Amino acid sequence: MAIVVLSPGILTSVQDGGRQGYQQYGVSPSGPMDAHAFRTANILVGNDPDEAGLEMTVMGAELTFTDAAVIALAGADMGATLNGTKTDMYRALCVQAGDVLKLGFALSGCRTYLAVRGGIGTEPVMGSRATMIGKNFGGYKGRKLQKDDVLEIRPCSKEFPHPETYFTQPEPVQPGVRTLRVILGPQADRFTEKGIHTFLSSEYTVGQDFDRQGYRLEGEKIEHKTDSNIISDGVVTGSIQVPGTGLPIVMTAERATVGGYTKIATVITADLPLIGQCKAGDRIRFQEVTVETAQDLLQQEADRLALLRKQVEDPSHLPQKSVPAAAAQAPAVEHEYEYTKDVTISINGISYEVTIQKWKEE
Amino acid sequence: MSEAVICPAGDSALLVEFENEISLEVNSRVRALKYTLEQSPFDGMGELVPAYRSLLVCYDPLKIRMKAAQEEIRSRLGHMDRVSLPKAIVTEIPVCYDKEYAVDLEHIAQLEHKMEEEVIRIHSQSDYFVYMLGFAPGHPYTARFENPFSFKRMENPRLRIPGGSIVVQLALSDIIPFDQPCGWNIIGSTPVLACDYRKENPFLLRAGQWIHHRPVSKEEYLDIKKQVEDGTYVCKTWEKED
Repeated sequence: MAIVVLSPGILTSVQDGGRQGYQQYGVSPSGPMDAHAFRTANILVGNDPDEAGLEMTVMGAELTFTDAAVIALAGADMGATLNGTKTDMYRALCVQAGDVLKLGFALSGCRTYLAVRGGIGTEPVMGSRATMIGKNFGGYKGRKLQKDDVLEIRPCSKEFPHPETYFTQPEPVQPGVRTLRVILGPQADRFTEKGIHTFLSSEYTVGQDFDRQGYRLEGEKIEHKTDSNIISDGVVTGSIQVPGTGLPIVMTAERATVGGYTKIATVITADLPLIGQCKAGDRIRFQEVTVETAQDLLQQEADRLALLRKQVEDPSHLPQKSVPAAAAQAPAVEHEYEYTKDVTISINGISYEVTIQKWKEE
Repeated sequence: MSEAVICPAGDSALLVEFENEISLEVNSRVRALKYTLEQSPFDGMGELVPAYRSLLVCYDPLKIRMKAAQEEIRSRLGHMDRVSLPKAIVTEIPVCYDKEYAVDLEHIAQLEHKMEEEVIRIHSQSDYFVYMLGFAPGHPYTARFENPFSFKRMENPRLRIPGGSIVVQLALSDIIPFDQPCGWNIIGSTPVLACDYRKENPFLLRAGQWIHHRPVSKEEYLDIKKQVEDGTYVCKTWEKED
């Protein structure tokens, strides 16, 4: 059982829940940039929430399956089609051998997750299948996927009757300004009152430099009391460094484990998926919350996922909804496009020419 | 000794800060707290990330809330002065100072107004202390405590230097695990891998230990390199004398 990559998209990689226990050796956790969407997709195919799947970025992949499989998509809407027919996200789908799943450009949001029942079976490195793209290890040969890569699917013996009944409400990525809630510190005292005020009251834009290591933001400069250097200390996912430029950098999944710049604040864990769905040009605001509030929000997120998991394991909990005819059997249709435009986007310092096509609504 | 400060680093970690300086004495408090927490972890405790003067204590907020985690750490801080740390380990790192690898050795000798042999002697005589690992997997931040060099980093960093390079400035000496950009002068090269993903524990070093550089000839360098590729080479280690 395997997935064959027909076209990899811009940046598609194998990710699982992340690599734990090696930060003291300089290895960051990696893992999905939008853990909420990633876990949702896994739960919908009856997997452990942190099972290995695929993360696609900005422009999705075209994939085929060597055998029948159960899959689910979550995250940014990349206009997924199965054998040329538009297909639903946020539900388990049965695919047959030879079926072609194709994802396009993310009109809103940045990352889409594909979960497959059983999970992807690459060799774990330090206990995890997450790809550390920046350091070339983990996942599939330590790199992003390429054409003709073959990803094994792990067999799953547990019964999973009527997969097509497993679905949840789609959660489209909302356009507009995202508000990221933050906890100030650990070095908030190294900024002037004016600097803190700038940080919490102005709007920032994601620049061209955004990847799995960090997001550089553009906007009003944040004032330090003296300078931006500290004796290097530990960094967490969501740490917001402000170097001498005065412009914030949000540290993400493949961040460094230690850093020598002042950290004004930390994005709360429950809001990390929001930054994972940002791309160049997206706007961000920061809002201060207490640790207690952040931990309550994280508990709510855990409860939501636990409830979804319970529903999947016992489908009688699910709201009833008519099941669409199996997409695999539907004939391919030619799409009419409302518009087509070519744009240049930059990821990891490499420029890509991509074509955006918007379907005409029927 | 001032009291440690515990402050939140987001909703899933606490940063414990000791005196704001880079010294063996302050770092020994970081190590003592890490050791104490490892010996008696609290429920919900996660990874511990030691740095020069601080310890990042990660925890799972679904298992323990911040205030309780703070209390747990505070109680360990109260006990840690009575803890006797296990003896530090010294790992021997074979270094080839041959011109082929030590591309900046001549330049370093000029900067120091010393013979090249004297520069090699200084670098291989003192043991270096590993304060922490970071930047790249297995990359040590080290320092020696006597006879520092006087030069800092280069004006123009090189865009790529080979993994295995030993780079120096002032009292610092780093092992570069993988090819990377670097602005430090290259004093030699080691055939051993600071990070080897083929191994179950891929890391040669850990925070709180020492490094001893042993000069080797090009022949021995190549011989060790072969053994490293075969996975048979084991670096010599011993306990550090007080």
